[in-house]
Amino acid sequence: MRAELIKRNLKKEFNGWWIISIVGAVVILLPILVIFSSIVQEPNENWLHIRQYLLKNYVTNTVLLVVMTAILTAILGVTLAWLIAAYDFPLKRFFRWGLMLPLSIPTFIAAYTYRTMLGYTGVVQTTLRNHFDYQMNPELLTVSGIGGAVFIFTLFLFPYVYMITRAFLENQSTSYIENARLLGRGPFAVFFRIVLPLSRPAIIGGVVLVIYEVLGDYGVTSLLGIHTISTAIFQTWFGMYDVDSAMRLAAWLMVIIVGMFLFERLLRQRRRYHVSNKSRPLVPVKLTGMAGIAAFMYCGVVFLIGFLIPFIQLIAWAKMTFHKVWDTSFFTLLYQTVYVAVISTMIILILAVVVANVCRSHSSLSFILSKCVTSGYSIPGPIIAIGVLAMFIALDKWLAPLYSSMGLGKAPLILSLSLVMLIVGYCIRFMATGFNAIEVGFEKVGTKYAEASRMLGLGKTRTFFKVDLPLIKGSLISGFILTFVEICKELPLALLLRPFNFETLATKTYQYANDEQIHEASISSLLIIAISIVSVIIIQMIGKRVKQ
Amino acid sequence: MSIVEIQGLTFSFSRKEDPVIYDFSFSMEKGEIVGILGPSGSGKSTLLRLISGLEMPNKGTIHIAGTTVVSEGVFIQPENRGVGMVFQDYALFPHMTVKDNILFGLSHLPRKQRKSRVDEMLELVQMETFGERYPHELSGGQQQRIALARALAPKPNVLLMDEPFSNLDANLKESIREELGGILNKANMTCIMVTHDRNDVEAICGRSIVLGKMSVVK
Repeated sequence: MRAELIKRNLKKEFNGWWIISIVGAVVILLPILVIFSSIVQEPNENWLHIRQYLLKNYVTNTVLLVVMTAILTAILGVTLAWLIAAYDFPLKRFFRWGLMLPLSIPTFIAAYTYRTMLGYTGVVQTTLRNHFDYQMNPELLTVSGIGGAVFIFTLFLFPYVYMITRAFLENQSTSYIENARLLGRGPFAVFFRIVLPLSRPAIIGGVVLVIYEVLGDYGVTSLLGIHTISTAIFQTWFGMYDVDSAMRLAAWLMVIIVGMFLFERLLRQRRRYHVSNKSRPLVPVKLTGMAGIAAFMYCGVVFLIGFLIPFIQLIAWAKMTFHKVWDTSFFTLLYQTVYVAVISTMIILILAVVVANVCRSHSSLSFILSKCVTSGYSIPGPIIAIGVLAMFIALDKWLAPLYSSMGLGKAPLILSLSLVMLIVGYCIRFMATGFNAIEVGFEKVGTKYAEASRMLGLGKTRTFFKVDLPLIKGSLISGFILTFVEICKELPLALLLRPFNFETLATKTYQYANDEQIHEASISSLLIIAISIVSVIIIQMIGKRVKQ
Repeated sequence: MSIVEIQGLTFSFSRKEDPVIYDFSFSMEKGEIVGILGPSGSGKSTLLRLISGLEMPNKGTIHIAGTTVVSEGVFIQPENRGVGMVFQDYALFPHMTVKDNILFGLSHLPRKQRKSRVDEMLELVQMETFGERYPHELSGGQQQRIALARALAPKPNVLLMDEPFSNLDANLKESIREELGGILNKANMTCIMVTHDRNDVEAICGRSIVLGKMSVVK
């Protein structure tokens, strides 16, 4: 009897949609499992050397970078979010949007721009020398080492914390803040006693995104000469050609990430964060006189350093090198970037639509499925890259008899030298971006139309094409653009997984910067920034639509 | 022979929760209109969702027009049960015109018959001139009539209606109620209607069931 019941329940739920979703989830999880499997394997000599002499340094640097950046982005992000959400001051409406813009400058572009700009031959020191006859200590302004990296990460990643916290404060915290004000508490008490503790989940949400970026970074740390676990993965892979040790390093990095999550859970354990059910926008208080000017100055300085100054500097460099860089090879570069991004985005969206449709049942199984397919977002690019590489090498070995029967040689590396590897890497890393956009679309539409269609005799698949798809079209388009932009900007995966002679805008920019051809890097940098600004505008538009 | 027969139906939303519907049995004949009454949370809408196949019971069997649609080892998908449903908020597809909404459930018919069936349905609900409108261009009462036409078009064995008057204002409700009773009788439709208003039942239904107390009231 029991077996029949299970069979019946399976028959209701399991169909082609589930099968595709499960296959997708397995492909996404496989590289991560491959990484963990490396821990139980016998280590080689290289690894013993790395563990004895280098690992401590890698871990220390990584932890230092993460902790310092987390603290500073939290301070910057939360204070700015509070100012914008709770007060009115000159140009506040502009800053509300403008303070998101630093996110449009990828950190490695910011790093090489600031390093050059503040260096001995940069615009700041030469101006001081030539026009003011002031010779300053070159070390004073140098952007290098851990300090420099923290400076770059803080200024260009704080918008994650700012955006999430601001959204929370503007809509969810109103009744508590108004109550605190009515109980006679001043602005400082309201901030420290109410705003900070209440918005802790939002702050942590933003800081976690910052930490993912820092852990997965390769561009900034390698340009500024810092040895972290991520850069070490690259070095062991490309310098020593030792994939096994690179995998072990990736496993170590995963241990840090898991540890971080457990620690955060432990901290949160006994507290509960209730959010008021009625969301009402917070009415801002007008700041006048010195207070208004101070708020304006604070936002203005962050906007200048975090966006406007490096942006103008890049434009100036682009003008100098335009004739040299803007040629047919540049168009090939553009074509390759768009080509790989479009293919990956299409695959991501198709799988995301299938999985999100399955997850509308809200069962515990579908919850696990959604967590599995979106897990790539919390895993640094280098880890995904090494996992994908290991998986593809194994796949090539497995397919070797097939290759030889096709006359391709005895044991060639076909898949692991192709563009497929990079596309799979992108799909794992950015599945969450596409999935979240589509999930929001499905949630907005609800299940009533699909149910009505099924009651009118259409099966699940026909219902999807005739009813659901036209209704989630908007979310599909925004999901496409957001994912496409993320892929265009991505660096570590592209550097590690691209086939020989294949360049994207990001890898070319990085190479120029790494070869000290800083001015030449500016045009591709500006293009990446322009693409990113489009995504910021779309996020803004989606936010407005959700509000409406 | 009963057109709908339910035996020992039990359903709970999760294993931890008490069942919303417990050991429920019921049957109805062709052409009957049965009202289901009961307070909020008594499982009225859930019962409709179980009959239609949108939810799966923990126990029990349901037969529709002589076919077992759910039992211990059987589950027939909602689209294959021959059941029509008018949703509480009508669920008219917003991206389709009135005609396309009604056409939606007629894909199994030859093209010519589809068109004549749509015209027939629009005539039945007296909305012949509204075929090209979109749902948002209709009033609440008009939307309800189109939802009814759409559900009746594929000629279901049984029609399920979930609080069909809850979105209408009091003035409109009375006239629409009479109209609906007339349409259902004209179509000789077997119908189960969930409502929380006893007046709805008295106006339209031949008999009623009160859920929550597990008793049947004639």
